[in-house]
Amino acid sequence: MDHLKSIEYLKSSYNKRICQIADERKAGKKLVGTFCLFVPDEIILAAGADRTILCGGRNDTVSIAEQYLPRNICPLVKSSFGSIVNDGCSGVRSCSHFSMVDLIVAENTCDSKKKMYEILASHVPTYIIDLPQRPDSPEALQYFLQELEKFKSRMEQLTGNRITAEQLKKEIRSSNETRKLFHKLYALRKKDPAPISGVDMLTILQKQYFLSPEELKKSLKLLVDEVENVRPEGTHRPRIMISGCPMSAGNTKVPEIIESKGGVIVVEESCTGTRSFWDPVDESKDPMLALAERYIRIPCSCMSPNERRIENILELSRDFKVDGVIYYTLQFCHGYNIEKYKVQQALKKAGIPMLFVETDYSNSDVEQIGLRVDAFMEMLS
Amino acid sequence: MISAGLDSGSATTKAVLLKDGKCIAYSIQPTAFDFISAAEKAYKDVLDQAGIVKSDIDHVYSTGYGRNSIKFADKAISEITAHALGVYHLYPEVNGIIDIGGQDSKVVSVYNGKVVDFLMNDKCAAGTGKFLEYTARALEVPIDDLGSLALASEKPACITSMCTVFAESEVISLRSRGSAKEDIAAGLIESIARRIAVMALQLGIKQNVAFVGGVAKNTGIRAALEKELQVSFYVPPEPQITGALGAALYGIG
Repeated sequence: MDHLKSIEYLKSSYNKRICQIADERKAGKKLVGTFCLFVPDEIILAAGADRTILCGGRNDTVSIAEQYLPRNICPLVKSSFGSIVNDGCSGVRSCSHFSMVDLIVAENTCDSKKKMYEILASHVPTYIIDLPQRPDSPEALQYFLQELEKFKSRMEQLTGNRITAEQLKKEIRSSNETRKLFHKLYALRKKDPAPISGVDMLTILQKQYFLSPEELKKSLKLLVDEVENVRPEGTHRPRIMISGCPMSAGNTKVPEIIESKGGVIVVEESCTGTRSFWDPVDESKDPMLALAERYIRIPCSCMSPNERRIENILELSRDFKVDGVIYYTLQFCHGYNIEKYKVQQALKKAGIPMLFVETDYSNSDVEQIGLRVDAFMEMLS
Repeated sequence: MISAGLDSGSATTKAVLLKDGKCIAYSIQPTAFDFISAAEKAYKDVLDQAGIVKSDIDHVYSTGYGRNSIKFADKAISEITAHALGVYHLYPEVNGIIDIGGQDSKVVSVYNGKVVDFLMNDKCAAGTGKFLEYTARALEVPIDDLGSLALASEKPACITSMCTVFAESEVISLRSRGSAKEDIAAGLIESIARRIAVMALQLGIKQNVAFVGGVAKNTGIRAALEKELQVSFYVPPEPQITGALGAALYGIG
């Protein structure tokens, strides 16, 4: 596959962004750390604050967290927590941005995160947005809207700036532009052979939560321009959809295995994938209501019922002409692990083969996963 | 045309020679630490048996845990595909395969020799040959006698640990409470059988099932699994070589 200059550029963007954040903070701007798609960036940005992601994808900070948290919870929760509370005594260094946040804005999604936040709050100021988990009822929407209003006040208090409807609308327009760029990029991935690898794609999917909105848009435009001009060579390779848990920065294990075994990832039904940008925010409505409506519809497995996710998976597998789905979960992520059953049933009915891979952040199972993926590729070809 | 198949497993390395689709030689060697020399040894053994040399071979295909490290092989395939081909060659009517090897166990759903779906055990040794090896040691029984010992049991002990290390401690505490050896052996075998049966049921494998891999030689496990799944298995005369056989068949195309 072609060497993409924009991806190389993105890979080297970390230090530049850290300097930018440091300068902003020196000038009095506040930095908010988030973990989850349910926290609307638009509200943070409309308050004049900046935001960064605190989800950990590295294995070496997991053991730091295990001083506080039980062993049997998901590596994402542990790696995130370990990266934040790390004092460097164990010889492991967290990435710099983890120690730069003025406020953590968390959300009540899965049990592990909820309970982890309670402990985290004694280390770093933490604000929690409560999330109703029956997303389709009008009461849930009203409740979520109230939660977002409270969050808006908390952001005003943090920054000392009033959030106006105009500002919110401006940020919504800007975020929608980013979402459109992602759609443009994904539309190009519908080509066969695919013009961009899933491993390259994961770079921008992970960086989207870290870069400033302007820098992200710039990078996406460059990437779209570059990928539009790629003339992929070679024959058809099995087209794979990844569905399931997020792959936070530092975690590229499974996509690398898939693509080294001859498959190509063409779409990710994940928080590092379609869930982040698929639906736009309605620009014609009251901005707070439009945000509540858009964000409560994210098909996370903490929602019940979550039929929307299954419909979405089936639709994506048709649109992207997927040969097989690799259902990816992190160990002890009960939501996505349990939801696997319903997804598998639906895919079976649709005649789409699925391989289930449950893993953590260690490299101990690379060979075992490799064997399963080998066999899956042989099955698809 | 002569083709060779090599199955580099975690416990044993197997080689098969096929001439015009018929097996003319096979070899089973312990893998030990150096799996490349084990593969070379098995390969040399089948060549010697057939009285031919390397240049007489048209294709060599490898499979198994060490498949990608066997440099003299033309191509590597997964053992899941290999077992499906090997079993199809022996029993075309089979639509489910259970393979319990040294390091992993798999259940494969097949149709006309093609893999339709498959499941493998999780990362640990539960439900594998290793599990039996360790727990037999705790019982001080040779692993080959575990099956026949278990058949003598009238009330199998209940072993619930999935983890090999914990199961070993469970065996020790059962012994200290005075459980009979045969009851513990039967309990161990039932615990594996239950685990494999769950995987088979997940894939909907109910009839025409082949049982292959080294553990298929163990009559006690075979009986317990047959009881758990309520089927009578197809077991090849040499159940350890179906992977190597499948690799050799893949070479023929």
